[in-house]
Amino acid sequence: MLDSVIAAGSVRCGTRDALPGFAVLNDSGEHVGFDSDFCRVIAAAVLGDANAVEMIDLETADRFTALQSGAIDVLVRNTTWTATRDGSEGANFLQPTFYDGQGMMVTSDSGYSKISAMNGAIICVAKGTTTEGNAALESSRLGLNWEIRSFDETDLILEAFLAGQCDGWSSDVSQLTGLRSAYPNGSDALTILPEVFSKEPLAPAVLDGDTAWAQAVNWAILATIQAEEFGITSANVDSIRDTTEDVGILRFLGAEVPGSDGAAVLDPNLSLPTDFAYQVVKQVGNYGEIFARHLTPLGLDRGLNSLWNDGGILYAPPYR
Amino acid sequence: MSPQLSTPRKVPFFRDIRTLKWALQILALLAVFAMLYWLYGNYQENVAKSSIQTDLRFLDNPANFTIPGNDLDQSQPVRDAFVEGFLNTLRVAFIGIALATILGTLIGIARLSKNFMVRTLGTVYVELVRNLPLLLLLTFMNLAVVLQAFPRIENAWLPLDLFVVSNRGIAIPWFIGSPAQLGIGILSAALLAFVVAKIRIRQADKTGKQDRAWLVGIATFVVLVILIWLLFGYGWELPYVDGRGTTGGLRLDPSFFALVASLVIYTSSHIAEIVRGSILAVSRGQGEAADAIALSGSQKMRLIILPQAFRIAMPALGNQYLNLIKNSSLGATISYFELTQIAQITVGNGSPAVPAFSLTLLVYLAISLVTSLVVNFFNRRLALVER
Amino acid sequence: MITWMRRNLFRSITDTILTVISGSILGYVIFQVFQFVFITGRWEIIQVNLKILLVGRFPEELMFLVGFSILATCFSIASLASGMNRPIDQPPTLAGKLWGLFQRFGLIIATSAFLIVLAGDMAAVLFGAYVVLSIFAGRLFGLARRNTVLKRLPGWLWVAINATLPLVLIFLTMGQAALEEWGGFLINFYLAVVSIALSFPLGVMLALGRRSTLPLLRWLSTAYIELIRGAPLFVLLLLAGVALEFFIPASIAPDAIFRAVTVFTLFTAAYLAEVIRGGLQSIPKGQAEAGKALGLSTFRITFLITLPQALRNVIPAQIGQFISLFKDTTLAGVALSVFDLLNVGTAITKQDDYLGQGLIYESLAFVGLLFWVGSYVMSRESQRIEKKLGVGIR
Repeated sequence: MLDSVIAAGSVRCGTRDALPGFAVLNDSGEHVGFDSDFCRVIAAAVLGDANAVEMIDLETADRFTALQSGAIDVLVRNTTWTATRDGSEGANFLQPTFYDGQGMMVTSDSGYSKISAMNGAIICVAKGTTTEGNAALESSRLGLNWEIRSFDETDLILEAFLAGQCDGWSSDVSQLTGLRSAYPNGSDALTILPEVFSKEPLAPAVLDGDTAWAQAVNWAILATIQAEEFGITSANVDSIRDTTEDVGILRFLGAEVPGSDGAAVLDPNLSLPTDFAYQVVKQVGNYGEIFARHLTPLGLDRGLNSLWNDGGILYAPPYR
Repeated sequence: MSPQLSTPRKVPFFRDIRTLKWALQILALLAVFAMLYWLYGNYQENVAKSSIQTDLRFLDNPANFTIPGNDLDQSQPVRDAFVEGFLNTLRVAFIGIALATILGTLIGIARLSKNFMVRTLGTVYVELVRNLPLLLLLTFMNLAVVLQAFPRIENAWLPLDLFVVSNRGIAIPWFIGSPAQLGIGILSAALLAFVVAKIRIRQADKTGKQDRAWLVGIATFVVLVILIWLLFGYGWELPYVDGRGTTGGLRLDPSFFALVASLVIYTSSHIAEIVRGSILAVSRGQGEAADAIALSGSQKMRLIILPQAFRIAMPALGNQYLNLIKNSSLGATISYFELTQIAQITVGNGSPAVPAFSLTLLVYLAISLVTSLVVNFFNRRLALVER
Repeated sequence: MITWMRRNLFRSITDTILTVISGSILGYVIFQVFQFVFITGRWEIIQVNLKILLVGRFPEELMFLVGFSILATCFSIASLASGMNRPIDQPPTLAGKLWGLFQRFGLIIATSAFLIVLAGDMAAVLFGAYVVLSIFAGRLFGLARRNTVLKRLPGWLWVAINATLPLVLIFLTMGQAALEEWGGFLINFYLAVVSIALSFPLGVMLALGRRSTLPLLRWLSTAYIELIRGAPLFVLLLLAGVALEFFIPASIAPDAIFRAVTVFTLFTAAYLAEVIRGGLQSIPKGQAEAGKALGLSTFRITFLITLPQALRNVIPAQIGQFISLFKDTTLAGVALSVFDLLNVGTAITKQDDYLGQGLIYESLAFVGLLFWVGSYVMSRESQRIEKKLGVGIR
């Protein structure tokens, strides 16, 4: 896979085109968002050029078949990592980019303040996602007797929600936040209930059976987290590389490290160019920058997605 | 000079027409098998690359979703979900076929009426609906009628205080009691009424007296059903708005309503054309003979024209019924949980795509075959036995 | 007049009641439609999105290619129609001829005029004028062929000359813009035309196979036809959407249009095979026997005698199949996310400016109008061809 990607000169990234904050098409037809930026991270690491990426829009139902058939090289489409998907979809999930949870969104004037009050409600979800199963599980766990209707696309859920056919809309909290920011009646008309009822680690996925490619993509993503831990941003990466004495940072950026037997560049044999981390940070940014660029404007807090030494669970293995 | 008898020369083996025919067939078969083998090989190769299942084991996995209007627990196997979807498809099929036939026949007869207004109304309806795509009608029914025109549950319409109409569904009054018992009761009442009517007809044939046997039969049926109702203590349940939903009665899913409504409207326009064509195809002599023995207009229709027209229309009607069943698969686009929707959801949840959809196709094929068999059975019974 | 009314509307009491009821229904519906179309309808959404409704996200710079293709096609059709032998049943007066033309093409002219009015800019009006000009030019060209020395041109050469220009332009247009950018009405039309063209050879082979005396061929053809006819088109499209890539080598990455065309072709071939088989059955056995008496091989008998007659006999049924395929192309929109007219129509109601305003009525009315006009005109033309060919009479 790695060879074919290098030969093709671009990474085929499976994504979507209409989720505010994660992947939206702007007026010039470019994909803008958190997931889109991680596609560019992979391209910058593997090919040295963040724009050497081909964004392929996928419907929810086609996500895994596109990966299985080789139509895409990597799937970066706010997809939850579960055991079943790892095993039976032939997918190999990598470092999660966003630790999310499933929540419930209702209209502000519906009078619901918590999920346990929604007895007998009609809940709308997207077809073929983990949200369906989780909602069904939650309903039977709390004895709430929900009627769960599932639709092909977010658009259809929006129509049903606007018309009052659904009492609640359940999805990943990050998705709900994005959708709420774009709601036609204004984001105050919607409330996201405080309870979160499942673990939804959103992670990129590659096809099973290709360790070299999986490792390369994995470390490309880990580089953004490690960069934030080192305090390297796209603005200061050049100056840090030129002036720092920290051996760890120099190794990380693929710069020469003065050693006892002359200067050497660390090459951990990941099939990536030795300066891949530098390219990633310079061309796209570190994790914090990517998050702040796309998700903070929606009102999402870092929460679990902060660094391990900052109250969150993002922890990159050491680069040595 | 004796005439030269030319003996037919023995044709060599490779130019004999029989060998050539068999060779051609075997070649064609080999070509088809080669193509299937190539396709299958590609499939195996692509599947092996990604370690996904290719058999039907996924049917035992828990479903992980629930079906509205149904008690399916989300830990029950996928197999049960498929069965539910199949039953839903059958529900749509039965009700759709019944309503479409009634509506289509009425409109078909209307198109032949001597009344100009009635005729125009029928023509406008048929010409308008026949040229529109079914998906357009379905989208209209769902987005424009159910979601826009129907009120929100807080402002639900309460026609006649019997129904509750909102964009969450239509609630109709329903009976309280065991449905199986009532079903058996109705069937036995119908059988009894049928027997009574037949006896009276035979009596009438013997004595030559006029007898409204069918009216007597229907009256018997009604009386018997009321008796069963009272005997077993069935009651009525009226629906009413209760917070965010309705309590009591039977709630029809809004998607079910949209699906059945659009299927009925679409198919009835085709059935109207078939009915009209078949009535016109009954030879004029039949109608003239009926006039000659002074049958009234409705008697002529009922006793002479319609039975013969029905015989002519049967194959085409059967075709339309098959189309309706196949078109019910579009319910998946508006979240009605029929077979195709179930298949889509399980595939999205991790069931392997090719086996799941192939299973769905096989089920539709089976339904089509059974329906064709039934239609053919009726066709043959009604067919004219030519001397 | 009064007698007509008495006879047709007020024959008896029940008749009068029926007249009143149906009359009021009809009147109410017509009144509501008029009110919607002319008074309360907010047609701005259609006007603004007219381009994506008709041709999708076709690149602006290449729109002139589309325009030229349309002009060339109109020219060729007009010249082909006029270049044939003079029809015998032409009405004598100019008024009569105009009335005939109006009956035939009035609906298309009215719809095109409506679209031009909607587009509301000079470019659209100019384009309409160009179309009229090209039709006139084509008619002159055709008349020239009929009346001058060009009459000596053999028929096939005439058709070839007329067909080259539009075909070249159409291929040029298709080559320039990636198929993903096509959309709207154009893609419905494109899918229908390409699918039926490709399905023809397969359908003929299946029909012949099903009637063959060789048992294996007959079994194979019947199995294919019955399998496809028992399957809903929607499920086949869904299957192609997720499963097609498993069956073809990984080097060909199928896009949505490729999948749609594949499924439509395979599907239509089965139905066409049944139609053609009906046609083959309607040919009297004497034709084949005469061919045998002349010593022709089975192959020659089929392709020179039986098949042409069979195809001619079922032209209306084939056109009927094309019309239903044209309407079924909307399924590609929901199953494979192709941006066809219906899909675009529902999508534009979700644009930022129009979301939540209940504009779905206007949008679906416009989409319905385009489909309705297309289907109605085609079915009327097929009835006309049926009458002209004397199918069922001679």
